This record gives sequence, structure tokens and C-alpha cells, in this order.
Amino acid sequence: MNEIFVFSLHGLAYAGLLFLVSAGLTLVFGMMNVLNFAHAAMYMLGAYFSYTQVTTTGLFWPSVIFCPLLLFILGALVERFLLRRVHIHGHLHELLLTFGLAYIITELVKWIWGNYPLAVNITGFLSKSIHLFGIIYPVYRLFVIFCAIMVGVAMALILYKTRMGIVLRASVNDGEMVDALGINVPLVMMGVFAFGSALSGFAGVIAGPLLSTYPGMAHEILVDAFVVIVVGGFGSLGGAVAASLLIGELQSFGVLLFPKLSLALVYLLMAGVLIVKPSGLFGAKQ
Amino acid sequence: MIFQKKASHFVIAVLFLVGGLAPFALRQYQVAMLTEIIFFALYAVSYNLLLGYAGLLSFGHAMFFGTGAFTAAVALVCIPGISIWSDIFLAVLMAILVGLVVGSLLLRTKGAYFALLTLAFNSLFYVVATKWSSVTGGDDGLSITRPNISIGSITIQLAGITSFYYFTLVIIGMAIVFCWYFTHTAMGRTVLLIRENEERMNFLGYNTHISRLLLFVFTGAAAGLAGAFYSLHFQFVSISAISVDMTTTVLLMAFVGGTGTFWGPILGTFVYIIVQSYLSDLTDHWPLFMGLIFVFMVLVMPGGLSQIIQKIPGVFSGKSGDEPGDRVVTEETIL
Repeated sequence: MNEIFVFSLHGLAYAGLLFLVSAGLTLVFGMMNVLNFAHAAMYMLGAYFSYTQVTTTGLFWPSVIFCPLLLFILGALVERFLLRRVHIHGHLHELLLTFGLAYIITELVKWIWGNYPLAVNITGFLSKSIHLFGIIYPVYRLFVIFCAIMVGVAMALILYKTRMGIVLRASVNDGEMVDALGINVPLVMMGVFAFGSALSGFAGVIAGPLLSTYPGMAHEILVDAFVVIVVGGFGSLGGAVAASLLIGELQSFGVLLFPKLSLALVYLLMAGVLIVKPSGLFGAKQ
Repeated sequence: MIFQKKASHFVIAVLFLVGGLAPFALRQYQVAMLTEIIFFALYAVSYNLLLGYAGLLSFGHAMFFGTGAFTAAVALVCIPGISIWSDIFLAVLMAILVGLVVGSLLLRTKGAYFALLTLAFNSLFYVVATKWSSVTGGDDGLSITRPNISIGSITIQLAGITSFYYFTLVIIGMAIVFCWYFTHTAMGRTVLLIRENEERMNFLGYNTHISRLLLFVFTGAAAGLAGAFYSLHFQFVSISAISVDMTTTVLLMAFVGGTGTFWGPILGTFVYIIVQSYLSDLTDHWPLFMGLIFVFMVLVMPGGLSQIIQKIPGVFSGKSGDEPGDRVVTEETIL
């Protein structure tokens, strides 16, 4: 019984991380109609920045602020000087550009930090374990779950309860009209992309101590985040929550129940959803 | 517009002639490199049938290439005495099967969604190849020995670099010509028109789903054939043949050469492999420079090298070419 509890918590922690990654991806896709292949590469950059920061200063907390900030600036620059230039050429070129950027970032990471795993060591309260309903559980994993919930709630509040959220949703519906009302839509889009990048950087910082930091981490999470988006439905925040939970738990219990098949389970789920409901569980009809 | 149909016949003849004479002028390692260029050219051409002709951006072309490569290698290991023809036939057959299954699942989606799903399926194939190590050799890969060709009582030795080069030139060369011929058939033109206006083609009574699936399977078969030659050439296959990196490679080859023309990707493959071999002598981080070149081209010349070549006549006659960054693919330029 305890084992099931532990594994479902493991699943929740991974679901939290998956949500942090896929929320930014689905936000950018929903708002800008750009599928950002470089999203996971930015997540990896976040993890590596955090590694450098933690090893030089020994402090984890500052990287939670600074790394997303760096990624925010990087995201803004990418949108302003690269993505906007190819926007007129259409969808295909945007995809190709972000794919090329992901490739470059991965190679840069290999060059700067080396092609081997690095461990981010955390100290203090986060590195401890606590007693929880009769089991001993690491605090850090609970912290990941907490972060995911906070980000999810904050995003939902911003999107549906603030003026900024109204502007964002209106820009998706009719960008020209919003532009005519005196709102700088290109600036809004730059902000959305930068925010998405910052979110991926934040996810990277969080992932560092949970998983190891290595050049293949981007591709690994990218595929899982894609599955989340396919299963949950494109551009749907609620879908991202549900699909992250589903896949996090599936991964966790898959290792417990079918160790050999665990990697394929996620793909089987994706194939199943594709056959039954191609638009995803929460997606609008394409 | 540069390659009209007659001009294309001429280009094909010249390419075969140059290809036939090349081994007399080149060193052994250069002949080996040329062999590599030829089968990668087929891979790039097949990819461009998806990207340039049908407008389908796939990040999963390596699943065909890898399936062909692994099937060819596994068949040689598991079936003693298998002839090279049946070996290649099996590889293409497996690629066709993969194309049918994956295509019928994925082709219901379009655009970014299709791109994402192909990447995910490529990863699935990679995971299967890694985990199924009893067949694929896992991380260690598979070593094979190239069989000889026997036609009746005649046996042609294929062990040498030059003899395998000629074998590749003939078989893969014919396959590339067949791809070119395919683009001129009613089927090939249908695919092009579906890209331009699918609704209209539907309205005219074409079943666009079937057409797209057929194209997908056809490109898969061509990539599988290229993959089989990859195994036979290196006499070794590892999981890198089915990894997403192999898809990135073909994307770069096709894009550098230019997706707007049929011959662009062949040029791209040539340039890519030569540049790669020079860069990899200079630095271990050559993929970084390849990535920079790619992003530069996406930003500045989306038509690739063939776009520049197409502009040259315009420069001499004083006409201004296309606006930089214009998508050059129209029905006339591509055929």
C-alpha cells in the first residue's frame, strides 16, 4: 500500500515537471501558432545555467530567479530578431527555424559543458526527507509538485482574470482588431514568447536536481512534452494538466508494473489517442 | 525553370557519365565518399518529395532509412546465403510496411501537428531499436559482410570499394531517375496540386488522403532503399541510423540544396558531405557549424543553393531575380 503511495507521488513529481515544460510550449502554440522545437533546448539551457550558478556560488535559490530571467531575455531576442523575420514565409519556416535553433543550442551545450551528465547538488531544507502519512519522502519532489501547482494557478489567473489575459486571448482571435484598438500586438507576442522561454528555463532549473543534467535531456523531455500536447489537445491548458498527470503516473507505474515496456507505454497511449480522438482529449476539433 | 524536361534528360546522362568515369580520377577514399553521396542523395531526394513537393514537414524520415538499414543488416545476419537482391527487396518491403502503418496514423494531421508526431514516432522507432538489442545489437550495432552478386553462373565480387561504387551508381541512380519520373506522372502532379489547393482537388474528385498516403509510402520505400545501401556500404549499422540525428541530416541536405527543385537536394547532399568531411577534420564541433549554416539559410535564402543558381541567368540578362527570401516553389520551377 505504501509502495503505491510512493509511486503515485513519484508520478506526480514527474507530472509536475512535464506540466512546467508543456505549459510554456502549449501557451506559445496557442497564442502565436508557433510550435517551438527549441523549447526543450531552452529548458536544458535553464538547467545548465542553474548548474553553473549552483556550483560557483553554492546557492540554489538565486537560480530560480536568475535563470528564467536570462531565458526571458534570450526568448525576447529570438522572437524579435529571428522568428519575426521568418514569420512572413509561413509556418514551415518557423518550424525549421526553431528546429535549427534547438540543434545549435544542443551543440553549444555539448561544447561548453561537455557531453556527460552533471549533478546539481542542493543543500538545506530541500535536500532533506520528511515523514508523510507513514512514509519518508524527499522534500524536493514535493517542491516540484508545489511549483507546478503554483505556475498552473498563476497562468490560469492571468489568462482568465486579468486585463492582460483578455488582451492575449483577444489577440489570438483577431490580432488586427486588437492592433487597431491601440495595443501593440507584436510586443504582446514577443512577451508571450519570452514568457514561454522563461517558463521553460524555470522548468530546467527545477529539473536539474531531480534528473541529471546532460545534453540528451532536451530531446527526452521534448518527446514527452509532445505526447502531453497530443494527448491533452493543442493549445489547451486544462488538457496539458490532465495529460501531464496521466503520463507522469503512467511512467511511474509503468516502471513498477512492466519494466520492459515502460518506455513504449507513453507512445502506445499517444497512438491510442490518435486513433480514437485525433484532436486530443481536450482539444477543439481541427 | 532552369531544368526543363529535355534539359533534365541531358543532366541525367551527364551525371551518369561523370559518375561512371569518376573512379578513374579519384582516390579510393574519395570513391567511398562518392558512394556515400549517391545513396544519401536518394535519401535527400525522397525527403524532398515530402517537403518540397507535398509541403509536408516530417521529422521522422530516419525511421524509413533506419528500418531499411536494419532490415538489410539483420537479414544478412539471420538468413545465411541470402542474395543481395532479396536482401535489398526485404529492406524496401519493410520500409513500405512502416510507411503504410505510420502514414495511415499520421497523415490525418497537418502542419505543425504532423511535424510533431513524426518526431515522436521517430523516437519510438529509436527506443525500439535500442531496447530490442537481441535483434538490432542495441548500442553495439551489427557488423555484416557484403554478399556478392550472382546472376546465373556469373559472380560479381562486391567486396571492393570500386565495384560496390558501380553497383550503387546503377541501382541508386536508377531509383533517383525513377523518383524524377514519378514527379512527372499524373500521381506526382496530383500531390503538387494538393499542396497548392487541397479543397479544390477534393472537389474535383481526387481522394487526397490516398494520394498523400501513396506518396508517403513511396518516399519511405526510397529512403529504405538508401538505408539498405548505407548498411551495405559501411558493412555496419548502429542505432544512429534510426535516430533523429539522421532525420536532421537529411533535412539539412535537402534544405541546403534547395527544396524548390528536384535536383537541389542532390546538390545539397554533395555539398553537405564534402563540407562535413572538411569540417570534421578541423573541429569536433562541426554539427554546430552545420546548424549555424542551416539557420542562416532559413533566415536569408530559404530557396537554398539552387535558388542562387536559378538567379544567375537573371543577373547576366540584367533582370532582377526573385525578392530575397521569396518561396520559389511554384509548379513551373519545380517540374
